Amino acid sequence: MPDKIRVLSVLVEDGPNTLSKVSGVIRRRGFHVTAISVGPSPEPGRSRLTLQVDHGHAEADQVRKQLERLVEVLDVQDLTDNDVHSRELVVARVAASDLAGLLEKGAKLLHSGPAEATVEFAGDGEEVGDFVNELTRHGVQDVVRSGPVVMRRTA
Amino acid sequence: MVLEALEREGVELIFGYPGGANLPIYQHLPDHPKLRHILVRHEQGAAHMADGYARACGKPGVVFATSGPGALNLVTGLATAYMDSVPMIAITGQVASTQVGRDAFQETDVIGATSSVTKHSYLVTHISQLPRVIHEAFHIATTGRPGPVLIDICKDVQQADAASVPPEHLEIPGYKPNGHADLDLAKAAAIALAGAERPVVLAGHGVLLSHAESELREFAERAVAPVGTTLLGIGAFPVNHPLSLHMTGFMGTGWNLKAVQNADVLMMVGMRVDDRVTARLADFAPKVKTFIHIDIDGSEMGKNVRPQMELVADAKQALNAMIPHLPEPEKTRGTWLAQIDAWREEHPLRYTHSNGHLQPQDVLVDMYKRCRNEAIVVADVGQNQIWAALWWNYDRPGLFLNSGGSGTMGFALPAAIGAKFARPELPVWCVAGEGGFVMTAQELSVAVEHQLDVKIVLLNNFSLGMVRQFQDDFYGGVRSQVDLTHMPDFVKLADAYGLPAVRVDKLSQVSAAFDAAERTKGPFLIDFRIDPEAKVYPIVPLGKSLNDFWEAPENA
Repeated sequence: MPDKIRVLSVLVEDGPNTLSKVSGVIRRRGFHVTAISVGPSPEPGRSRLTLQVDHGHAEADQVRKQLERLVEVLDVQDLTDNDVHSRELVVARVAASDLAGLLEKGAKLLHSGPAEATVEFAGDGEEVGDFVNELTRHGVQDVVRSGPVVMRRTA
Repeated sequence: MVLEALEREGVELIFGYPGGANLPIYQHLPDHPKLRHILVRHEQGAAHMADGYARACGKPGVVFATSGPGALNLVTGLATAYMDSVPMIAITGQVASTQVGRDAFQETDVIGATSSVTKHSYLVTHISQLPRVIHEAFHIATTGRPGPVLIDICKDVQQADAASVPPEHLEIPGYKPNGHADLDLAKAAAIALAGAERPVVLAGHGVLLSHAESELREFAERAVAPVGTTLLGIGAFPVNHPLSLHMTGFMGTGWNLKAVQNADVLMMVGMRVDDRVTARLADFAPKVKTFIHIDIDGSEMGKNVRPQMELVADAKQALNAMIPHLPEPEKTRGTWLAQIDAWREEHPLRYTHSNGHLQPQDVLVDMYKRCRNEAIVVADVGQNQIWAALWWNYDRPGLFLNSGGSGTMGFALPAAIGAKFARPELPVWCVAGEGGFVMTAQELSVAVEHQLDVKIVLLNNFSLGMVRQFQDDFYGGVRSQVDLTHMPDFVKLADAYGLPAVRVDKLSQVSAAFDAAERTKGPFLIDFRIDPEAKVYPIVPLGKSLNDFWEAPENA
């Protein structure tokens, strides 16, 4: 992971203003989001954001500190350089002729038709990147990729 | 319901302007005689008045504005308060909740437009949210590092009828204002400072906000450490104290900058350490071995200068935690203090006397002699601000108010009006250049309407003085768009608004003009026609280090 990227897991209040306030802080402090995923947390009314952020010319700890200032933000963990599980998901529509090779690489079949099939693949950022490159080599255009969800390996 | 909630929060004064989307609130205002409402002439004026009010008395200033343009006119005032950590509550009307997002008449995304200049903000779309939101807003605005909080209330919510019941207790899980210092860290920091050979303490607005002036003084005297203040920290330490270094930063005093640049331990209390304090960051305080930074906002740690010791705490708490660990003052630091005295002799504050023009410093020195420290001075932005900062010897907190972080021209008059409402017993002086003054001059009507004893000291140099100075010295001497010869006749302007005014061109007229101002009840304006070439000194050239400050020419 390049030096300037921080990986943060952020617990937020699930409200209409939250995402724009988080993204607003990131923008005006000169940071840049390179990947993001959002989903509900087990606690009602709270969501979990996973952010990969380029902190630009600011000090690395500013990303966490600036996010912590937001009242909508309940908890920020900077997981950069931690021992983590980091998972991303890809879904792609592929030619039926490519299917066997992709399944061999670990893809999971979601749907299969006479001419084309839909597969998913989950892995860490590097594995998913390799898989997407493989799809590109096969000329696959129809690809959607999630941001990462990240968890420490040990609590 | 809004008004009842404000009464519960102890609000006495509101600065505001009615319009389509906040009419339901105004409809009920006459039923609440305890809430005094000041009708401003422009919403920016309301925001600065609330700001000046809060700075002068410590209570949050409250502002009303309608949706769209009304709310947007607050933005500069919110930004000013936000940059300087001033508690404020802005209550804006929003179109009905069913209309939001439909580009209704006077609809603007006010939360979006103000998120970057408020500590927090709320859009209230249902009456059930309102009591909690208002209570939370006051808590957030006034605790921790204070700041403005905006509450955008949909018009249908303002009209809804509901029993107004405040929540029993506050629960804001995402809001954790810092307070107490880590005691071990405080002890270590005290020992580090006490053990320094050349210690310097710099104090910012945070010291004033936490009312830690006496703790700072005790700390400095026990540690025998000289103390400078930032522009916003003026009043945190008496300028006449033998350990005072006066103001720091790129327009600070020569002896302050010398001390900072030669310090071996630098303690920064309640301040952001911004570019106006450090000048060229790479050369800031280069001999310091240990930076100690105390601030209530943890994000300030290392934002600009990476401290070796960080105390994320309220200034008063931190100083109180440190003081017991300072040794009895056996050390006199004779060499270091003598060195600072020598710098003070070598680099005194001085100004040009002899070119036949009225000098702004003459005006301010005369004014200071009259008021001593029994008046509030509210400065605008630019040369007038720095002159007012340097040429008064503020010995107590809360006497010098100005827009430091945001540098908002037009701040002074409305903020002075707000300060006068907050502290009616104190004389209030508004010091402004003519450029900033006309940006909010419409608020003269408010001063006249309420016969406020606000004395306006216009330092009129027929130009945007600070910009001209920068152009002369740092931008190739090209004077571009700074000429303000075409301005109103300020005596006639004052007359049109209904307040007395005089013009002063010569030093010999200064005293009589001040006499007249002091004799007059209610607002008074003096148009001081000052030296059009007057400059601010000392000044660090843009992009240079604090070592490179320029001084006023000697005996010119």
